[in-house]
This record gives sequence, C-alpha cells and structure tokens, in this order.
Amino acid sequence: MFELFLAMMKEEWRVHSTMFGSLSFALYPVLIFAIACMGSFLIPLIRPLLPFGDLALVTHALFLLLGLMVGAFGLLINEVMERRFGQASTLAYAARTLPLSERVIFLNFVVKDTVYYFVLWVLPFVAGFALAAPFAGIPLATPALLLLTLSLSFLTGLSMAFFLSMVYARSKVLLAAVSVLLAGAIFTAHLGGVSLFLPLTLFRAFSPVTLAAACAVVLILAALSIALLRPEAAARAKHHREMLVPLARRLSPLPYPALAAKDCIDLLRSGSAVGQTLFSFLIPLGVIWFCLSLLDPFLPASGILLLFAALTGVVASTMYIWLTMFDSFGPYACLPLGVADVMKSKVCSFAVLQLLPAAFIALVAVCAGEAAHLLPALVLCLSVSFYGLAVTVYLTGLSPNVLLYDPRVLVLYLLALGAPLVALIVLSFMNPWYATASVVLVGVGWWVVQKGFVKWEGREVVGY
Amino acid sequence: MRCEHPPGSGDACVTAILDVRDLTKVYGDTTALDNVTLSVEEGALFGLLGPNGSGKTTMIKSLTGQVRPSGGSATVLGRDVVADPVGVRSQVGIIPEQETPPSFLTSEEYLHLVGAIRKIPDIEEQMTWWFEYLEFGEKRDVLCKDLSRGTRQKLMFAQAFLHRPVLALIDEPLINFDPIMQEKVKDFLADYVKKGNTIFISTHILEIAEEICSGFAVLHKGKLLSTGRVADVTEGGMHLGDYFLSLVRAGGHV
Repeated sequence: MFELFLAMMKEEWRVHSTMFGSLSFALYPVLIFAIACMGSFLIPLIRPLLPFGDLALVTHALFLLLGLMVGAFGLLINEVMERRFGQASTLAYAARTLPLSERVIFLNFVVKDTVYYFVLWVLPFVAGFALAAPFAGIPLATPALLLLTLSLSFLTGLSMAFFLSMVYARSKVLLAAVSVLLAGAIFTAHLGGVSLFLPLTLFRAFSPVTLAAACAVVLILAALSIALLRPEAAARAKHHREMLVPLARRLSPLPYPALAAKDCIDLLRSGSAVGQTLFSFLIPLGVIWFCLSLLDPFLPASGILLLFAALTGVVASTMYIWLTMFDSFGPYACLPLGVADVMKSKVCSFAVLQLLPAAFIALVAVCAGEAAHLLPALVLCLSVSFYGLAVTVYLTGLSPNVLLYDPRVLVLYLLALGAPLVALIVLSFMNPWYATASVVLVGVGWWVVQKGFVKWEGREVVGY
Repeated sequence: MRCEHPPGSGDACVTAILDVRDLTKVYGDTTALDNVTLSVEEGALFGLLGPNGSGKTTMIKSLTGQVRPSGGSATVLGRDVVADPVGVRSQVGIIPEQETPPSFLTSEEYLHLVGAIRKIPDIEEQMTWWFEYLEFGEKRDVLCKDLSRGTRQKLMFAQAFLHRPVLALIDEPLINFDPIMQEKVKDFLADYVKKGNTIFISTHILEIAEEICSGFAVLHKGKLLSTGRVADVTEGGMHLGDYFLSLVRAGGHV
C-alpha cells in the first residue's frame, strides 16, 4: 500500500516535471509563496475596498475550485497523457497489472492527490500569508487557522469532483438528480441564513463541531466515491453517428473546415463544451463579477461593465487551451500539414468560440442596464481576447495547457497582457467610448500571431 | 534525384526514390543516427532492420520531416525533407509506430478527416474498401480511443494508403496484427510494390523482413552496418536473422 502511494507521488512529480521541466515545476510553489506573500502585504491597502471577510470568501472559493479542477484532471490524466505523449498509462489505471483492487488503487490515488497538492499549493500559499501577516496587522493565529480551512476547502472540492464523477459513471440521470438536490440544499440553506461551505464557516468562527462537520463532509464524499467506483464502466465502447462531414460543410467558410469540425467534435465528446464553459468560463466570471461588484462604489459610471468586459476578454482568450487540451501534433504528423496549419485552424475555431463571450457580455450589459455601452464593452472584450490568444500562441504554440504552467512563460504572458490591459482600463474609465481604442490590440495581435506561426513552424515538434 | 545503387547490390543505376546522405541526428548526448548514407530504389519493398533503440524510428521521422537532421541531407521523391516536409508528407503514406488517431473521432470520421486534408475525391469508396479489406467495418462508428491496438493499427494502415501513395513509410507494420491479418497485410504490401510503388518499412522482426523485403539495411546504435538485397544473403542458405545477428554482434560488440 505505502509503496504504491510513494510510486504515485513519484509518478505525479514526473508527469509534471516532464511537462514543465524539473526546475520550472520546482519553482511553482515558490511562485505561489511569493504571490501570496506580496498579496498579503497589500491587505491593509485593499481592506477599505474589499473587507477581510469577502477576501476570505474569495480565497476559500478559489481553493474549492482548485480541488474540483485537480479532481477532474486526475480522472482525465490518462487521456491527457496519451494525447500529449502517445501511448501512456498511469498507476491509477494499473489494476489489471497489479495484484491490487481498483478500490485500493483509487484510495491511494485520493491520498496522493491530497498530500501532493497540499505541499504544492496550500502550504506555500499559507506560508506566504504567514510571513506577511505580522506586517499586515493580522493575528498570528490566523495563518494556522487558514492552513486548516484552506486544506478543507481544497479537500471538499477534490472529494466533490470524485463523488460527482463516480455518480456520472453510474448514471447521467442520477448525476442530474444529485446536482438538483445539492443546488436545492445550498439554496435552502442560504435562504435560512446558513452556509453549507463549512471551511469558510470554520474560518469565520472556529468551533470543534464545525470542524468535525467539515471533516465529515470530506470523508463521506470520499468514502461514497470509493464505494461507487465501478471499474468495468471504463470498458464500454459507445457508438457515435458521423458528425465530421456535416459539421465541416457548415464550417466551410473557414480555411480549414475539417480541422475546425474536429475541434468542435473534440469539445462535444470530451465533455469540454459544457465542463469548460461552466468551470473555466462562467464560474470564474461569476467570482470576478462578485469581486468587482464590491468595487462598484469606487468606480466611474460604466466602469464595472468595461472592467468586466476586459477581464472577460482575458478569460475568453483561454478558450485556446480548450482547443488544444486533448490535441497534440501527433495525429497530424502523418498528414501533409505543418504546425502552423494546425495552429491556424485552432485560431479559426477560437474565432467561432468567441460567440460565447460576445453573447455573455451582451447579456451582462443588458441585465446591468448598460446597453448603451454595449458596443465599447464588446470591442474591448473581443480585442483583449484576440490579443491574449496571440500572446498565448506566440509563447506556447500548440501546448498552452503545458507551457503556461512554466513560471517563466507565465511571467512573460502576464507582462505582455497586463500592460495594455491596464492602459485600456484607465482609458475606458476616462470615457467608456475610449475603450474602442482597443481595436489597436487586434492589429498588434495579428502581427504577434503571425510571428507565432513562424516561430513554431521552425521548431521541432514531437509527433509520433 | 541521385542514381546510385546500394553497396553490394551489383545493380546498374536505377531511380532512387529515397536518398539519404551522411544523415546524422543527435538528441542531447545520444547520437540516434550517425552519418547514415542510404538509397532506396523505386519499386522496392525495403526493410530497415535493427534492434530496439537502433535509430529506425528516428530515420522514419527524419524522412517525413518530423525531426530535423543535425547533419547530412535526405530527399524523398526528389523533395528535400528539411526544406519541404509538408510536400513530402503530401506524396507519401506514413504509419507511425505509436498509432495515434484522434481520441474523440470515430474511425469513419478520422478517415473522412484524412480524406479532406489530402483532398481525396473518392474517399467514400476508398473507406468502404479498407473497412472491408481489413475487416473492421463494425468499428467505423466507435471512437478511436475505444479501439483495440490492432484495430487502431488497421485504421492507421487505411489512412496511409487512402490516397494510393507511390511511397509508404511504415514503422513496425505488423506488430499489433493477429497472424491472419499479418498474412493479409503482407500480401497487400507485396501486391502494392508489384504495381510499381515503393514500401519502406522498419522492423526488428527479421522473419517478416526475409519473407517480404527485396532490399534491406541494418542499423545499429545509429550506424549503418550493411545494406543490400535480401536475395544476396539468402541465396547462400543463410537466414537474414543469422546475418543480422552476426553483423550486430560484430559491429555493436554485443
């Protein structure tokens, strides 16, 4: 048992260090420590704008989301590895070759994820906070409590992802029923003034009963996941109707209709279309909207809409990651296509996906009673998104989901995106219509993306 | 296109469809290909033989523009593989060793995708023929990720020949097939070269190489140890396997 746990820990490290480079990945906790430390020093400054309680809510929510993402990614790792490196397998899928049951392996997998990401994310974050806390006038006991409650937030997300996945594997109808029940419970509790997000409740008012309840939620979800595990479910091979030809016909105005159709099918069949829209678009933007709404009294008229439009553009630019997540150059290597051809087709597919942020911003503008400023908001959102895409393409080629985790690439990305973003936000605060100046970014982005095609065409890409 | 016969072949000049000169590929501290010079005639079924890690896959990757040589040159069908890799891939069929059809497409959709990219006019007809010939029509609507290794290889085989290339480069062509399918594929390959096409395979299964190949080259630790006609080796009663082992043991100091 313990040997398997250690082997899984090594494997997780090697997966990441292979993808990101050993040094780059080892620097990741250092980067989190530094960001948490510097951010914590700013707490006294932002406290008038963002109360400590709201900051705690956002932080705990982020770690809950992180747990959900790690859980979901863990269950997909074999697929991602296979797409990225060709034939690949992980210990989590090794029950047929090891004298261990699926449940024992899954238990080890859960414990491994818990320990690994605690060391990688939670501990450096709290350590950074702890270092700055005395200077920010925060009691010394707070970091210790935060370590506990953030760990519980992360574990709640992780065990929830495992639980929902196992329910999904049993039945989609059951998943829908469980989701409705969960949403109903959260809503009812909210109406009654009770928070079901126990780690946050624990942070706000520590009590042994809440601690026991928060731990119980994690343990019950994990135990249910292990009990619901059905190994044979993975062996089913479904039949699918032909979608490529009709889709390619519809996308025929694009330069690479067949490849764009393939991207659409990948999104639909991998579950990314719904999953990514929810977890990588709507939920993060919901959190952002909540945070921005706290700043509303301090922003100029229409400021919140334009700030939100700019940030939606940044989030929308990550749709390029959706398109490359399950893809690598390998399948194209035996076809008469260059790397730049595949990248161009992804950019076209990305353009189609931009209908989503455009519709979203239109909806937000109308709902917020800001329809008069819809045009500058739309221009800002889509220009930022395209520029963000161009920077991503240039820096990461066909591997954004790998290379953006490289601290060096991430810093370059943030610098390239941050500077024009700040300038445009300041301009749009002066006059909402100045936001239309963001079209300049489209021209710059076009130049950057062309440079990106040339850069990655000239690189040796690992295919088959 | 150069016109040089392989050393020891005793042939007059014939058209070289694939021409490699002093090809070298270095990965960090490892020299995967070490000054390899090789020529393959039109109409040959040529086997690149070598133990695991000898550089066979790197050679195929170099010939299809997948990796950039560290030195030397290579032309395939008269096209320089470094200057025009996409042009090379448009003319040849390629079956990689690690079969990687896209996970979320069905077999049928993958072949449609290949047909669209290669602009094959009679794609439906071709597809139907291949589903029937390799006996995997019942898997046409199954996602590639759910296919067995053998079926994936059938699919990769079909995609490589859909456009009826004059040259096909195949890395370990029979490794995932059952004996019945191996026979079928061997027959197909033999028939394909009879029609004037060329097949370049890499393999370490020497019995198959002896059975189907007309020419061969032995690669070991990145170096070319020998090249010639299979018939020249077997005419004296020697098996290609014995010849290969004697070469590798002598050349590789095994």
